[in-house]
Amino acid sequence: MIQISEKCVGCGKCVAACPFGALSLANRKAVVSNACTMCGSCVSVCPMGALSLPVTGAAKKDLSAYKGVWVFVEVGDNGRTQFIRPVGYELLSKGRELANQLGEELCAVLIGNQVEAYFPELSTYGTDKIYAVSSPSYQQYNTLAYANALVTLIKKYNPSIVLFPSTYVGRDLSPRISSELFVGLTADCTGLSIKEGNLIQTRPAFGGNIMADIKCPDYRPQMATVRPNVFKKAVTTPGRMAIIVKETIPVPVEAGKVRVLETHMDPVSTQEKLDEAPVVIAGGRGMKDKAGFDLLDALAARLGGAVGASRAAIDLGLKDKEKQIGQSGVTVSSKLYVACGISGAVQHIVGMEHCDVIVGINKDANAPIFNVCKYGLVGDAKQILPRILEQLKK
Amino acid sequence: MNIIVCIKQVPDSTQVKVDPKTGTLIRAGVPSILNPYDHYALEKALAIKAKTGAKVTVLSMGPNQAVAVLRLALALGADEGILLSDRAFAGSDTWATSYALATAVRKIGKYDLILCGQMAIDGDTAQTGPGIARHLNIPQLTFCETVDADGNQVLVKKLIEGGHQIIQAEMPVLVTMTMPADYMPKYPSFMAAHKAQDKQVFTWTAADIQADVHKLGLEGSPTRVDRIFPPPARPKGEMYSGSAVELANKFVEILKKESIVK
Amino acid sequence: MAKNDLMTRNLMLDSLRQYAKNRISFNLIREHDAKNQIPLDILKEMYDHDILGVHLLLIPEEYGGLGGQTTEIYRVCEQLARIDLGIATGVFATFLGSDPLNVGGTPEQKAKWFKKIAQENKLVAYGATEADAGSDLVSLRTRAEHVVKDGKVVGYKITGSKMWISNGGVADIYTVLALAPGGPSWFIVEKGTPGFTQDAHEDKHGIRLSNTAGLAFDDVYVPAENLIGLKEGQGFLQAQAVFGYTRLMVAAFGLGGGEEAVETALEYANQRIQAGGPLSQKQGFMLKLITPHYIRFEAARAYIDWTAKQLEVNNHGLATEGAIAKLYATESGNKAAEDAIQAMGGFGYTKEFSVEKIKRDVKITCIYEGTSEVLEMTIFRGRWQEHLKSRGQYYLKQAEEFDALHTQNPEVGADSVALGLRALARVLEDCRVNKLTRHQYVTFQLGDLISEMEVAAVFTRECANKRITEGSRFDLSSLCTMARVNARQSAFKVASEGMRLILGTCPAINTAELSQAVNLVAIEDKMRGLIEDMDVVSAKLREIFKK
Repeated sequence: MIQISEKCVGCGKCVAACPFGALSLANRKAVVSNACTMCGSCVSVCPMGALSLPVTGAAKKDLSAYKGVWVFVEVGDNGRTQFIRPVGYELLSKGRELANQLGEELCAVLIGNQVEAYFPELSTYGTDKIYAVSSPSYQQYNTLAYANALVTLIKKYNPSIVLFPSTYVGRDLSPRISSELFVGLTADCTGLSIKEGNLIQTRPAFGGNIMADIKCPDYRPQMATVRPNVFKKAVTTPGRMAIIVKETIPVPVEAGKVRVLETHMDPVSTQEKLDEAPVVIAGGRGMKDKAGFDLLDALAARLGGAVGASRAAIDLGLKDKEKQIGQSGVTVSSKLYVACGISGAVQHIVGMEHCDVIVGINKDANAPIFNVCKYGLVGDAKQILPRILEQLKK
Repeated sequence: MNIIVCIKQVPDSTQVKVDPKTGTLIRAGVPSILNPYDHYALEKALAIKAKTGAKVTVLSMGPNQAVAVLRLALALGADEGILLSDRAFAGSDTWATSYALATAVRKIGKYDLILCGQMAIDGDTAQTGPGIARHLNIPQLTFCETVDADGNQVLVKKLIEGGHQIIQAEMPVLVTMTMPADYMPKYPSFMAAHKAQDKQVFTWTAADIQADVHKLGLEGSPTRVDRIFPPPARPKGEMYSGSAVELANKFVEILKKESIVK
Repeated sequence: MAKNDLMTRNLMLDSLRQYAKNRISFNLIREHDAKNQIPLDILKEMYDHDILGVHLLLIPEEYGGLGGQTTEIYRVCEQLARIDLGIATGVFATFLGSDPLNVGGTPEQKAKWFKKIAQENKLVAYGATEADAGSDLVSLRTRAEHVVKDGKVVGYKITGSKMWISNGGVADIYTVLALAPGGPSWFIVEKGTPGFTQDAHEDKHGIRLSNTAGLAFDDVYVPAENLIGLKEGQGFLQAQAVFGYTRLMVAAFGLGGGEEAVETALEYANQRIQAGGPLSQKQGFMLKLITPHYIRFEAARAYIDWTAKQLEVNNHGLATEGAIAKLYATESGNKAAEDAIQAMGGFGYTKEFSVEKIKRDVKITCIYEGTSEVLEMTIFRGRWQEHLKSRGQYYLKQAEEFDALHTQNPEVGADSVALGLRALARVLEDCRVNKLTRHQYVTFQLGDLISEMEVAAVFTRECANKRITEGSRFDLSSLCTMARVNARQSAFKVASEGMRLILGTCPAINTAELSQAVNLVAIEDKMRGLIEDMDVVSAKLREIFKK
């Protein structure tokens, strides 16, 4: 539980700040109940500095030995050809900023087969060094093989930060590694920055209605995953070339216990691919039923876009789960985003706030969605959409 | 065959509310449920049990009231429940949680297949399953839609970017489950609920599982919450109201202005 | 096997709620309501052992049921009522129909019929009511005559008719009350027995998803082994024995229906913007149409639960408590549903929303299993006896308990309860001295005041003992505030209404003296801070039911 010192004056600020209702006032002093999860929300709001988390007895590592911002660059495979997943470039762009602030080098980690082809392009994102593990045995992703390779590299070179894409591969690999190294890992960050030498990892917390800054002050490397489309790709510097460090790491025998029998790729047109669509039309609870979503489909077809949905609409069964936009779904960064009947919970906002032009249509003028909209239309989307479709036909 | 399903009690997230003034969570009156991904994983384990006669043990970590989700699992057909409950576990992040659960799995001893939901809806991290697998040093198969087990092999349908794979692996193995979009959790009949009272639920403390206390709770958690804050407010855009026709005209105007249509 | 614990009950309720969420949409209910049709497939599914098997609750374990205790049965009734009172009535009819067997059946009869009901998922109907015999069973007309063979009674021939029988047209097994030569007796009659026919389904104001039909018996032969208890003349006793219990179930119906209506209205009010803010933020709206009802629901919940726990110890009886629970909860639920329509204005009046249906439905709870007026009489009779027996000390003794509770915990309105109980004792005593109970209206009203005060007393006692009634979504401090509001208003009602009755029937009495005797000023004095307390409750309601 949180520790409360003599300095407490009973102002009650911590009581209001506690997300779990674990703090209360008794005899003009704060008291803490069993509901405390030691999340630490109260520590920073106390004007007297009376609250603290219990000091851990673990021996502190020598953090100065850890240097360098690493990005695990995932090699994608669409069944026909292999390529660098664009999120890798996004992470390198962000990693460059972080490395500059720290005064450390930015490194890409590339595991696969014949990865040399990717060196020039990766270099143009300000990458100082590329660690490459390249052999036919890494042609296909295998958790144990890749985890072993990365752990070997991290132990050898001691980076201070390792970033992963929040893809199926990144989300499979990163917790395996953090567990082995006894380091922290923050999932699906929406913001990364440096404060007092620590990586500050921002993400929605507690069901997605509030933001949290997370840090790992006593552990290195600091690890985080980030969804595609959260960070923008930086302008490249053509001609720049990173230092290449090639490593040969054998695949452990246990990796053979897992065998991929078949791989099937979904036949998806770009129009249906939410995260790459130039226009996204999204619907929420306010669309009420399937007929409401038919209107969205019609508008998306007309504008050459894809249809997504908020968690509320998914829960109502109005759209498939993979079309969910938000923290626990897809993140989009389209040119146009139209939010129809979506109230705009934080959990949704973080999945679409980076779109260029956001238009909200909602009956409730106070809906939070309007806080992120460039244009807000106060009205019933189910009434307005048919009129829009008529107009566009002309 | 011995199957262990790791489950978690979570607040029914669609009903989590935040006080607009203080930005803190309102917990009063928010019902708790079994994390839906775990619910699905449990149903898959019970399907394997129906086919092979496997023993299904459910394992959870949480406060005493979390025993309710174990009872639900027993009513649905699990054989035995174990609750890790101890002040020493409080404040655990995913690292310490997966360490504690893995240590409990070691104490259970016999296991061939460990099933987890891919993530909990109150955390959305998807880290605990792989963490347990690493602590036990067994292979993991994450984000699986289906799972089947026979002999010493499991067969899963695992989601990958833009498709899926059929993967076979040797047990022991840990599998984390995603769930279909139209998944409706199964609930027990009245009689099944009644009979589950007689099934055993063991409560284990940190000492019971002989865990290293330095790897539990706050001390065993590398991550710290630096601060919690409401999402930053931004300047409001242009707002329009009027009849449906007027707003539709406005929309088309916006499309033109932003050069989406000509 | 052990009794069901709280977790098991909650699990059953979760299953029921989930089933309703998946299978019983409001559209389905609305269609059946419009067509005046019972959703038989839904009822069959709810009986399916692998889906819910809700009827197994009332069947003892030894016959393949799960021997539900009163607490889980009333909580299931409350939840059923929240889904639809018509469906609830269909399930309840099976509970009720099996009761004569439970109370009076021989072990062989129980084994035969309970196993049949459990295993074959039979719907049961309770056939007591006739055109001239409702709660007043003395005017029973249906007869059962001996069929004699070799000088032995081998069977009965039943002739007569029954009215307004729930599940009347759809049941498989009927328990029928008829006048045998040895007195009123219960018989088991199976569907399809020659001479036994069912009338058309009634076109009712509400609970239109429940089948209600008349039954006609024309020389219907049943074997002697179908006489429940194998002994004639036990019928009334068997019927009376379960009233405390069955009325508790209907009380839970009133509570569930009322809660559903008010919560629907509150959810609407949380969203409806009026003059710059949600309707639920308006004090006038909340204190007139929402908050008082929810306070009464929590009081009713505490009383129903307390009575259920008593019944689990005493098994049967507690007729007065059952009547109090039903009168209080159903009248509260009915008035709340009415106000829920008002709260939603035009929306509430349309069939787009559920509240107008709930209003039509919940009215039945004030009628069946004893009308509110019959209950007022029952309650009056029961407590009048206690008053006379104790020489006026019955409520005065209880008041002392609340004096003590108040010193322990001044936050729960125990002082107001003590004042109210003393006022009630005084009103009853004045009625005795002046022979005012010769006015039937006075007896009805006294029944109402007794129920008001006894519910307030139990609610306050539970809060004083820091007990949160299961199923309540409030924390203890909110419940204490509610108990405080409720106790003050109930005491005031008893004192002022008591004075109205006494002065209205006995003009010779001195008003000032009477006012002093019931301590009206002291009771009024307790009103200080009442509105502030109600505002606190309103805020809590907004918080808990915000979506």
